[in-house]
Amino acid sequence: MEFKEVVGRRRSIRFFEPDKPVEREKIQVILETARLASCAVNAHWLRAIVVDRDKIPPDKLNQLKTPVAALTLDLAPVHIYFFCDLGVVKRIKGSRLRELVDAGALAPTHGWSHKFVDEFVYPQILEPMTNNLQGYLAAAMADCGGAAQNALLAAFDEGLGACLNTPNPVLTKQVFGVPDDWVSLWVMLVGYPAESWEAGGQRPRPPFEELYFEGDIKTPFRRDDGVVEKLKAAGMITRPAPLPERRQEIMRLAERLNLPT
Amino acid sequence: MEEGGGKEDESAGTTAAAFSDAAAVRTWLDGLREQWGEEPRDMADRIDVLQRFSAFVERGPDTIIAECSREVEGGKRIRIKKRRFYSDKIDEFQASVVGDARTQARAANVVRSFMIHNGIFMQGGVGGGG
Repeated sequence: MEFKEVVGRRRSIRFFEPDKPVEREKIQVILETARLASCAVNAHWLRAIVVDRDKIPPDKLNQLKTPVAALTLDLAPVHIYFFCDLGVVKRIKGSRLRELVDAGALAPTHGWSHKFVDEFVYPQILEPMTNNLQGYLAAAMADCGGAAQNALLAAFDEGLGACLNTPNPVLTKQVFGVPDDWVSLWVMLVGYPAESWEAGGQRPRPPFEELYFEGDIKTPFRRDDGVVEKLKAAGMITRPAPLPERRQEIMRLAERLNLPT
Repeated sequence: MEEGGGKEDESAGTTAAAFSDAAAVRTWLDGLREQWGEEPRDMADRIDVLQRFSAFVERGPDTIIAECSREVEGGKRIRIKKRRFYSDKIDEFQASVVGDARTQARAANVVRSFMIHNGIFMQGGVGGGG
C-alpha cells in the first residue's frame, strides 16, 4: 500500500475476527516499524510485550481487562503492551548520541562532536532532565507515541486492523512484572478486522483551520482544496463517517459475534 | 438476592403493558429506536426476556437501573459493585435460559442492551459470555 493510503485506511478497529490468527511475521513487521521511529537523543524509550490472547493464562487475561476494553481484548488475537522505559537515558549515558556522531547523522557542520556529547549534552542536559520527572515523562512519552503510531500504521499496511487502548497501569505492571521504572502506556490490539475496512467511515475531525496556523496563532493555515482533492484521489481522505450502511454492518456483526445491540 | 439494598418497584412481576411503561424500559426502547432508526421486529420477545430477568433478580427495571448509579455533585456515577453484581446476575440468568448456547447468549445480550441504553456501561465476552 502507498503511504497515503495506509494513513487513509487506518481506523480504530474494534471488531476483530476472534479466531483468525495473526502471522508472527506481521507482528515482527509492526515492531520493526516502531523501532525505526524518530526518537529524541536516539534514546528509544518504547518497550513492547507481545501477548498471544490464547496463550496467556485466563486469570492474567482477566486482570488485564478494563471495563471499556474487555470485549476488544477477547476479540483481538494479539495484544501488544507498550511501556516507556524511563531508566534508559541514565543507562546509556549519551552513548547513542555518540553513535549518531559516528554515523554522520550529527556532524561537526551542525556543531556536534563526541566531546560535546560527553561533556555537555549528557551531564548538563540529559541527566538533569531525568530528574525533572514531569518534563522528562512528557518528553519520553511523546517519543513513545510516535513509535506506537508507526506500529499502528504498519499493522494496517500489513492488512490487519488495530486499536490503541489504555490498560490499567498498575495491573499491567503487576501481570508482566516489568521493572519499576517502566511506565505502562497502551495496549495495541491486533487482528484481522471483522468489519469492513471503512469501519463506518473516516472519523470526524475538528476543522483543519482550528488546528493549524501560519506564522501566528491568529492566522489559520489556509487549506487548499486542490490538495484535498489530490489526497482524496490518493486514498488518504476517504468517505467520512457516518456511512449510511454502518448501522446494518453493526447489526450483522452483533448477530455474528453474539453481541448486544 | 444476596446483595439487595434497593426497594422493589411495582413493575417487577406485573403485566407486559405495565412493565413496558416503566421509565427505564421506555428509555431502552427509545435508545434502540434512535440507534437503529426503527424498533426491532422482535421487540415483544425482548421485553419478555427483560421481564423474566426482572423476575429472576426480583427487581423492577427502574430499580435495577437506579441501583447501578448514584447522584453526585456534578452528575451521575456508576456504582461499580452493583454493576458487577448485575453483570454476574446476567451470566447466571444466561445459564438458566432454556435453549442452546446461542439462545442463552442472546437472552443475556437483551438484558445488557437494556443496561447499555440506560447508560450503564456493560460488555459481554465473545459469544455473549460474561
